[in-house]
Amino acid sequence: MTARPALAVLGPGLIPARAGIGLRADHYDAVLETQPPVGWLEVHSENYFGAGGKPLKVLERVRADYPLSLHGVGLSVGSIDPLDQRHLTALKNLIRRFEPALVSEHLSWGSVDGRHFNDLLPLPYTEEALDHFSERVIAVQDVLGRQILIENPSSYLQYVASVIPEWEFLVEVAGRTGCGVLLDVNNIYVSARNHGFDASAYLQAIPLALVQEIHLAGFVVNRFDDGEILIDTHSQPVCPAVWALYRQAVQRFGPVPTLIEWDTDLPALAVLVAEAQQADAIVLEERHAEAA
Amino acid sequence: MLRLRELQQDFAAAVLDGAQNGFEGQIQAVGLSGARRLQIYRNNRLLNLTASLRATYPVICRLVGDGFFDYAAAQYIAAYPSRSGDLEEFGGDFARFLETFTPAAALVYLPDVAQLEWIYRQIFYAADHPPLDLAALAQVPAEQQGDLHFQRCPAARLLQSPFPILRIWQVNQEDYVGDAAVDLTAGGIKLLALRRDNFEIEFQPLAAGEFSLLSALNEGCAFAVACERALTAQPDVDLSACFSRHVLQGALVSFYLQSA
Repeated sequence: MTARPALAVLGPGLIPARAGIGLRADHYDAVLETQPPVGWLEVHSENYFGAGGKPLKVLERVRADYPLSLHGVGLSVGSIDPLDQRHLTALKNLIRRFEPALVSEHLSWGSVDGRHFNDLLPLPYTEEALDHFSERVIAVQDVLGRQILIENPSSYLQYVASVIPEWEFLVEVAGRTGCGVLLDVNNIYVSARNHGFDASAYLQAIPLALVQEIHLAGFVVNRFDDGEILIDTHSQPVCPAVWALYRQAVQRFGPVPTLIEWDTDLPALAVLVAEAQQADAIVLEERHAEAA
Repeated sequence: MLRLRELQQDFAAAVLDGAQNGFEGQIQAVGLSGARRLQIYRNNRLLNLTASLRATYPVICRLVGDGFFDYAAAQYIAAYPSRSGDLEEFGGDFARFLETFTPAAALVYLPDVAQLEWIYRQIFYAADHPPLDLAALAQVPAEQQGDLHFQRCPAARLLQSPFPILRIWQVNQEDYVGDAAVDLTAGGIKLLALRRDNFEIEFQPLAAGEFSLLSALNEGCAFAVACERALTAQPDVDLSACFSRHVLQGALVSFYLQSA
């Protein structure tokens, strides 16, 4: 089969099971001018909550050429604070306007008593938190009128109170709410190293049908005299160990839309495109291995 | 066992307020201690919010230097915690904060430069608006023109300062070349900040009459009142020229009739 642009095969709506990249403002002009050969684009939803101006105009233009995924970082689904209706309305309007194929949020919380961390904080994995988080996912999906995906976070601590492994918690949320899973393979690796669990076992615990998207990114290692910790900075290329874990994910889940995420110290667009091509190459190799 | 609400409140007290509430005891200390692990979240938040402020206030950062900026940012972040999950909304009180930030008191122009940078950001995200309907405006009978009220473009703002903040802003742009000297005694400035159709954001210096005209319209004054104010501020103002200019460049975008 000759390679054809994804749009010619799927139309501009659906996300193809190949690699895409995160679109950031510093790459607007480069993406518009060069139309990079990636399968789809993902943006942070909140970056398009403004009423007008260049970001929305750019999104309109790229949306005509690429399937789109909206990835939220600020809804704070796991907080006890009431859901921010203004935030939800802005997200709903954005979904209505751009008709993204995928909409995702995080298995985390981010605000309490109106104060926001603007970070993805870990939940205690308890029955109470499972009930609460599931109710909130249902509430979000009701307002948005569609399924969302929930992404596993990177974490740097585990609570004494936690009694459910993260992978079980995530699968249970999906079972109760009908949400899909955005599996961040880098986050699994980072948390596995930070907390000493088996990253491969995490993958094996997620049912095939739940995973609709995969994230890949780079991290940094902070070393202290009493140990080290991996910080999910999205500031580096995907590391060899995470590529290896991605290969395992492809072996288990088959080809899944896979995103190269890069947020800090953003390199040239070509670097992201090359990372996306590496992800596509792994999928092709695994397909051939399977066929052989 | 802590309920989820208490856990989140205690986490916030420990990380945001530095409370000695023993919350590190709620964290599994495998390898790194609970306190060290909380410190990572404290650092991440500080780094994220500081980066957001740096992106919004690049000229302030150049004026005071990275180290001083980070110090000011940390004080600001503690005093004005983020109130939105949308990071684009963070930092709107920075000018107000700088007014009372004594370590920067000698840089008297700093709050006004910060205000200009915040306006730049507001305009960047402001709503799009079609230009004023000139044909409809022409239909308004001459005797009713004084009762016209005009609305500014969402991507237009007025600001003024007793300091030469436009010159300060210009010579501190990354791509600026040439003489970077600023004469702080050069006097103040009145400005219209306006996003053009190509999304470029311009700061246009305005004469006193022009500024008064737009300010009065912006406050909701009728056209006749706005014209009087402009003439008071600057008796030789060419009202018709400056009015047409702001209509044509899209600073004024709509109108309605309302008699006093």
